[in-house]
Amino acid sequence: MTEILQQIINGIAIGGVYVLIALGLTIVFGILGIAHFAHGSVSMFGGYLTFFLVAQQGYPLILAILVALVVGMVLGVLIELLAYRPVRNANHINAFIVALGLTMMVEGINLQFFGAEQVVIPTDAGRVFSIGGVTLPELRLYVILAAAALILAMTIFVEKTKTGQAIRAVAENRDAAILMGINVQMIPLIVFAISTALGVAAGVMVGSLFAIAPGVGEGLVVKGFAVLILGGLGSIPGAVVGGIVLGVTEALAAGFISSAYKDVIAFVVMIAVLLLRPQGLMGRA
Amino acid sequence: MKIRALLGCSAATLMLVGGAHAAEKTLTIGVADALTGGAAVYGLPQANSVEMAADEINAAGGIAVGDDTYMLDVIVYDDKANPTEATNAVRKLIDRDGVRYILGFCCSGATGAVASFIEYEDAVMLVGNAAERSITTQGISNLVRTRPPADYTGAAAGAFVAKQGHKRIAVLGALETSFYASYVEAFEEEFKKSGGEVIAHEVFASKDRDMSPQLTKIREMQPDALLVVGYVEPAAFAYRQATELGMDVPRYGFTSGSEEQFLRVASSEQMEGVWDLRPTELTLQSTTDAGLAYHANYSERFGDAPSPSSPYAYDQAWALKHAIEAAGSVEDTEAVAAALRELEVFPEAVMQYLPVEGKMFDQNGQAYTANGAFQWQEGHWVFVEELPSDQEAYSRFLSTVN
Repeated sequence: MTEILQQIINGIAIGGVYVLIALGLTIVFGILGIAHFAHGSVSMFGGYLTFFLVAQQGYPLILAILVALVVGMVLGVLIELLAYRPVRNANHINAFIVALGLTMMVEGINLQFFGAEQVVIPTDAGRVFSIGGVTLPELRLYVILAAAALILAMTIFVEKTKTGQAIRAVAENRDAAILMGINVQMIPLIVFAISTALGVAAGVMVGSLFAIAPGVGEGLVVKGFAVLILGGLGSIPGAVVGGIVLGVTEALAAGFISSAYKDVIAFVVMIAVLLLRPQGLMGRA
Repeated sequence: MKIRALLGCSAATLMLVGGAHAAEKTLTIGVADALTGGAAVYGLPQANSVEMAADEINAAGGIAVGDDTYMLDVIVYDDKANPTEATNAVRKLIDRDGVRYILGFCCSGATGAVASFIEYEDAVMLVGNAAERSITTQGISNLVRTRPPADYTGAAAGAFVAKQGHKRIAVLGALETSFYASYVEAFEEEFKKSGGEVIAHEVFASKDRDMSPQLTKIREMQPDALLVVGYVEPAAFAYRQATELGMDVPRYGFTSGSEEQFLRVASSEQMEGVWDLRPTELTLQSTTDAGLAYHANYSERFGDAPSPSSPYAYDQAWALKHAIEAAGSVEDTEAVAAALRELEVFPEAVMQYLPVEGKMFDQNGQAYTANGAFQWQEGHWVFVEELPSDQEAYSRFLSTVN
């Protein structure tokens, strides 16, 4: 029993990272219909930037994260303005190609600015809490709490604020939103700013829990899209449930079946869910 | 002004006269190694050390062949530890750059791919850190390797761990990589001789950074000790996560990572007490003057301490210099390859090689060092003791393996 609980705790921490990545993807896809493949690379940019500020510039970690989040939001706005907006009314394939090109570009920028070496964001969170044989490292606890706080903030923002209502209105019916006086030029900018900030947060978590290196972002975005499909395209609760399910499934698969097949098993579970619920766990039929 | 011009003319005349007697030529050598990706922790220091050795050889007067003196020029290509990339890099070195001597080779998969065709080339291949046994069991006459095979070290490690009184050990590692698997196989064989049992074989891939599911499973099995085999970075995460899961058992490993490499991932407290059971390699507490000089020069030049395994490549360059001088030719690669097998251990060598029949490389082209037990103590790898290593017996065994 202890082992199962421990594996679930292990899975929730990594699931929290998946949730943040998937939330960033799901709001962009749900509202703008763009498969934003560069999200993983942008997320790694945030992690690299945080590492640079902490390890090389001596910033306190919290300040470095805040700076990275702000830079991430600006980067998100620029990506929307310069890359996606020009092809917004063109065929979907154009946005698809732009997304692929952007992925390579951001990967190249990361490589150029931060080098090819793996980096780990240094933290002081080295304590380990133990309850009834189940251990929870301080860093993983912070990751879980931060992910939960961001999910809550995101939900409140989308459900309770006027801007959130405007975003939902554009997602529901763009033409009706225009008739209601919503500034539909501004909404994509806000969406990309939020999406990229969530990605940066995920990048910081990956960088402190594990490591940031070239190629890590690509793997992360694949997992993010898997969560998106598992949870239901465009569904915020779906991204949350899907991320946790994927993280916990991976941990249980690695612990009880074989670590060599943890990715395979996680994707088999995803396919099985889609066979039973083609719209995903929380998607609309 | 007139005096200065006269001096200039005299110097130029002297240079021309000197040049008429002995020509200074350039010998281009190649390096194929992992400069990026997960294996760069081994490959990049190797490539650096070849460049440093080349500069030192040049500064010491180059390679003397008859009346000619050859200065070394180094071309370095990134093989990313990938067999296809390594094949392309070596083909480019041989076919386009006209290189006859290729050094580096940190990793077994990429090295094996090149070894499969190198015997048909007019070239000599000097392998460094790649530890897969089969590289020197194929009777390739134009290939030598400075690092001993993984199973040579694994057997010594198994005997050492058994001596510590452990009976149930769990293995976590890159067991899908053949040379790590062969280390564990040899380890297990020796460990079982003392009544020990390996109770778990958990796997991680070289890109994995989250080993907590495997460690959780191992923790439930309550082993006496943990053995971690793999590249530095995943191994460092395994050590870190083992402490995060509250595992309080002795941790042994086979990684050859430097202190700096481990400290990028885990804190010194998390590493405290970890053992690394590996070839003695670059060990400051027990190294020679050549080793101390290597460490100081490398640190000064690259701003980072050398990885323990990097001198395998440094020694390749010096071995090549001595072999070319012994062969008396840079063109005759067969003669140079034969001279390598006749070479005695030279004074510039950083690793402390154990000769076989008085030679640095045995008839298989394999060199041997002693194996050692190192322990992490207060932020440093401390050499604790030498592990039993019979290079003569292993060399005879290697000759029987096809």
